[in-house]
Amino acid sequence: MDDSDSPTYASLAPANPTMVNDLASVDLPSLSNIPDVNSNGHLPSAVQSPLSGQDVSSPQTPASLDMKSDGYSDMDKSTMIAVIQFLKRGNLKSTEEILRKECGFFEPVDVTDTSGALGEEGEVLAAYKSDGNPAEYQDAFKALSAFVEKSLDAYKYEVAAVLYPVLIHMYLELIYNGHRGEAVELLQNCSSSIEAHHADDLRSISLVTSRAQMAGQPLLNTLLSAQYTCRMSRDSLAHLKRFLADRSAGPVPRIIQDRLNIDLVDGQPRTKAQVLAVQGAITGEAPRSANKTKIFYGLLKEPELQTVINEEEEAEDDLDKPKKKKSKKDALQKNKKNDPNAPPANRIPLPELRDQDKQERARIYRDSMKRVTLSRDALPSICFYSFVNASNTVDISDDSSILAFGSAESILSVHSITPAKLKAMKPAEQLSDIDKDSEDVLVRMLDDRSGETQRNLMGHSGPVTAVSVSPDKALLASSGQDGTVRIWSLQTWTCVVVLRGHIYPVWSVRFSPHGYYLVTGGHDRTARLWTTDQHLPLRIFAGHYSDVDVVEFHPNSNYVASGSSDRSVRLWDCSNGACVRIFTGHKGTVSAVNFSPCGRYLASGSCDARILVWDLGGHGNALAALSSHSDTIHTLAFSREGTILASGSMDCTVKIWDFAKVTEEGRDEDVNATTSPLEDKSLLLSTFPTKQTPVLSLHFTRRNVLLASGPFNG
Amino acid sequence: MLDEVAVPSAVSAESIKIMGESIGISPLGDDVARELAEDITYRLKNIVQDGKKFTHHGKRKRFTCEDFDWALKSKNIEPIYGVVSSEFIPWRLTSGGGRDLHFLEDRELEVSDIVTQQLPKLPPAAAVKCHWLAIEGVQPAIPENPAPMSKNLQKQEAVDPASKLAAAQADTRNTRNIHGRGLKSVETVRVKQLATHELSAEQQLYYKEITEACVGSDEPKRGEALHSLAFDPGLHQMVARLCTFIAEGVRVNVVQRNLALLIYLMRMTKALLDNNTLYLEKYLHELTPSVLTCIVSRQLCLKPDMDNHWALRDFAARLMSQICRHYNTTTNGLQTRISRVFCKCLNVDKTPLATVYGAVAGLCELGPEVIKALVVPKLRVLSNKIEQCIESPSAYEKNAAVHIKGMLVKSVPPVLKMNRNPPDLLTDYKNDFGFLGPLLQASVIKLRQTPGVGGVVVSAPALAPTLRPLSTPTPTRILHQSVGGVGGRALVVGSGGQVTTTGGVGVAPSPGQKLIIMTSRTPGVQQGLDSPQLVSAQLPLGEGSGATILSPTSTAAGAALPPGAKYVLVKTEPTDDEYGM
Repeated sequence: MDDSDSPTYASLAPANPTMVNDLASVDLPSLSNIPDVNSNGHLPSAVQSPLSGQDVSSPQTPASLDMKSDGYSDMDKSTMIAVIQFLKRGNLKSTEEILRKECGFFEPVDVTDTSGALGEEGEVLAAYKSDGNPAEYQDAFKALSAFVEKSLDAYKYEVAAVLYPVLIHMYLELIYNGHRGEAVELLQNCSSSIEAHHADDLRSISLVTSRAQMAGQPLLNTLLSAQYTCRMSRDSLAHLKRFLADRSAGPVPRIIQDRLNIDLVDGQPRTKAQVLAVQGAITGEAPRSANKTKIFYGLLKEPELQTVINEEEEAEDDLDKPKKKKSKKDALQKNKKNDPNAPPANRIPLPELRDQDKQERARIYRDSMKRVTLSRDALPSICFYSFVNASNTVDISDDSSILAFGSAESILSVHSITPAKLKAMKPAEQLSDIDKDSEDVLVRMLDDRSGETQRNLMGHSGPVTAVSVSPDKALLASSGQDGTVRIWSLQTWTCVVVLRGHIYPVWSVRFSPHGYYLVTGGHDRTARLWTTDQHLPLRIFAGHYSDVDVVEFHPNSNYVASGSSDRSVRLWDCSNGACVRIFTGHKGTVSAVNFSPCGRYLASGSCDARILVWDLGGHGNALAALSSHSDTIHTLAFSREGTILASGSMDCTVKIWDFAKVTEEGRDEDVNATTSPLEDKSLLLSTFPTKQTPVLSLHFTRRNVLLASGPFNG
Repeated sequence: MLDEVAVPSAVSAESIKIMGESIGISPLGDDVARELAEDITYRLKNIVQDGKKFTHHGKRKRFTCEDFDWALKSKNIEPIYGVVSSEFIPWRLTSGGGRDLHFLEDRELEVSDIVTQQLPKLPPAAAVKCHWLAIEGVQPAIPENPAPMSKNLQKQEAVDPASKLAAAQADTRNTRNIHGRGLKSVETVRVKQLATHELSAEQQLYYKEITEACVGSDEPKRGEALHSLAFDPGLHQMVARLCTFIAEGVRVNVVQRNLALLIYLMRMTKALLDNNTLYLEKYLHELTPSVLTCIVSRQLCLKPDMDNHWALRDFAARLMSQICRHYNTTTNGLQTRISRVFCKCLNVDKTPLATVYGAVAGLCELGPEVIKALVVPKLRVLSNKIEQCIESPSAYEKNAAVHIKGMLVKSVPPVLKMNRNPPDLLTDYKNDFGFLGPLLQASVIKLRQTPGVGGVVVSAPALAPTLRPLSTPTPTRILHQSVGGVGGRALVVGSGGQVTTTGGVGVAPSPGQKLIIMTSRTPGVQQGLDSPQLVSAQLPLGEGSGATILSPTSTAAGAALPPGAKYVLVKTEPTDDEYGM
């Protein structure tokens, strides 16, 4: 492997940390105020562009993310102006200066609107100004819903999708023009024709009752900055257009024209089930154009383990040149098996395997030989860890030896759930005495006398929202409502770094299965990719319209899935920061995501108590919808061979699903827009209720015992 | 869909004016107040919606003050310090100047007091416990796991025995489908047995041990056995046998007049009733006659003039009221039938005094409404009987009369206090109640003089349900309890501004009084700021004894209890005795 084209960690680092950091701290409400939104309506480009400035279309070439100063020359000028305008308004002079210097952008930018942030919002809102007769709105909407009702069943459900966006924009238009009475009446009389899953949004919109309140309402900002997307077949659209042509004067055609993004599709109109299956997100369904990129969902090749196991001693000798050895192995494996869907091994740089890691992998291999095969007929054993006196979040290390949990009292607690004690490293003076070349240096540097079964870590200044143990069990990452992400050493039992960047509460943190990388998601609507050796994020995944509630790494570490309060799941590419999939269909906040061990499937659970299974080989359609829970699903886990899916929920149950059947039926026919997700009662294999203990975490051990945990609310 | 919006929760303009006054801004114009109220409502609702996110990530179902604070913080607003406290925030109401005012009691704290106070206890450390939730797909029946058959399921089965059959049929249909498609996974379809007739060896052993311990002579062992009966899940298969054991035991021991064993059996019954995982309706036909026997039987012990069989009668009477509270439905009319039995026993000329005592005790336990409807009319007759017996040379009769008198004087005055208007004239009482008149009058007067105590005494015997945390009962249950006169804690504020705490709704209403029933329930954040919820109820004055409870969430239940409704269950006169006693 040539050194010149293999990426280095340095090349991954953002060339201009200041830039990234300053943009990271962009004020939240203003994110969506920047008027320039990409045509596909999902990326506030001002934040996105510094990272996706390079050529996205050639993911085959190793990512080199060096940002040269002229890298901005081809960037959208208006975006730049918007950013600088924003900085000017915020009176961030030095940042503005640096930005100008960095990108050689010295054209004068005048801040025309003197009224500050409100002025710009006012601009966006001003589009609502209309002198239409307020009385005709309700009639117009009723005519539209009557038209939908009378449509042929073939078109009815596709056309019905426009009702909700038309209603809210009508309402807002009335409010903006000061016709409050008519607006409230409209909402009261007409909301019955809207699908039930829009109720939450309608309720929060109905809180807005005056023009002054329109500025700064987060949901409203989203509705203004992003067009609501409705997918429609050609026939349905023609049908709708015929209706609109009849009444070209009223508010309905204008709103549909201005506010809706109609995604035209060739082919048959969809059925009710199909339409309902993709609705739910704040901005309607994902436009098809957003889900076209090919995803390398295959797994990376495992390094040759047999040799490691057999030639353990040889490996010791070759310590000084492990790299060479690895490349040799790569060559060996290429012949052995080559997953056509796997990304190139060097698509993103991964840490070299240390001896320690190789031994760990050998253990995984040995364990997998002994593991129980789970199936419909062989259900797993479940060991339940219940916490008394509250806990917020739990994580169990991959080898199931360490259990870490965070509490609302800002304390992290680490328990050993094997007989092995949690040991601390010896003090520095004793460490220097140890022979560094000795075989058992890792064991020797730990102090035997310090062994304990439980240790507390304190440092957060707000409830801990998520914890994640690194695969090598050396580090623990935790995120808190105080807006920080902390990385703790599980050898010195201290906090080693505080990652600041999210300014609002951080909801989720996960380590990559290969270590080194970690991803976080938070209230500032972004997910961020970090590494353990830098205190600045490598990537900011911006695009969600609401909080990023959960994040998860793909088993090959090349992708990150994020679930959000905007009721969509997005898949991000770590190599270029692009959003490669938007999955819509959940009707509530997405509260759990997980990838199947084969890497092809993504399962997501939400507050609407349903689990949706997505095929990464497809184009954003759900493969199956599993519903049986009665409350928010907080965790999902796949058995190690991927035949069983376990879900845990606030309704205090663990449910076991037959995932082998989901995939088996899914593979028969290529899932496309014309099929609706599989919903079958027989997919549910079993339900195990607990005693008033919500299930917060599920984890399959390497031998397929399911470990569940949650706080006991007795 | 937007039903909730129909009852909007909003800050009213009046509130704004009052708040303005409290910080010295007065007068506030109507327009200004309205504008402010609207804006404040909007902002509060927004913050509550944001706070919901924190509830979600705290993995809780209940919205707390902290969530609100965090929502403020995330909006860069300084949170309000010092309001984070207990889950129950008592609102108070006072009226004056023609308007009502709800407020929180905000005591002034002395810094020196806080400094000298002992430090509060550290919160208990977090700990992890583990158990097997399932072993190869089967959930073991251990105390850590929920009972194999939930109480609701037992209830459903008791109410609708056919449901099980339907479920079984559905199961078999599934099996057939699977067969039809030729899938091999037939074994996993587990058709539940329709009836479990046999106990496993362990269960038989358990039954033997428990019954022996319960009626044996080893008191600590009995304690353990009763604890097991009261708390162990998964007893439902054994309940039928245990109930038969109790019924048979009572039958035999009443004949043998073995007081000790009867007490043990009643304690067993109590343990079963206390077990949260059991739904006993199916077994009431065995339990109720046994308990009734222990209340009203002519003779329960060998030496009725010496032994304290009165305590057994009291205890059984409490059990009976517990049974009525839990299992009385409109279909089984349990309470009506029980009251009927007791009424029949009140016929003083025929029944022995011990039975009369039992009947009085049983009726008194059923709550003030029952006392008012069934005991008070009989007071005169009872009085006469007591007067006769108390002078009687027979120690037994005298003793019985004293006990009946004691029971009446304890339970009746609070009801009289509610239903009679002052002044309490001695002559009236003497005319109405004869021999007991002066005693009753004295205690009523005493009650009237000590406000606050009255309410507690009213429901002292039946206070058990109020001991439950206020947050748990569902709205309907609260109503149900109000019927029995044991509603949630209520604050009654007289027009004079005097604050009275009572244990029930059934307090004598005087003009201008208002009742606030506080229920704190899981916050419906979608409704905005409606938690804790205030439900105000105006007691109808004078004769009407029912309380109207106005609540957006329980209007249906409220409608079932029209203002002024008499106690529904006691309209019919006692006719026959269904329990064959």
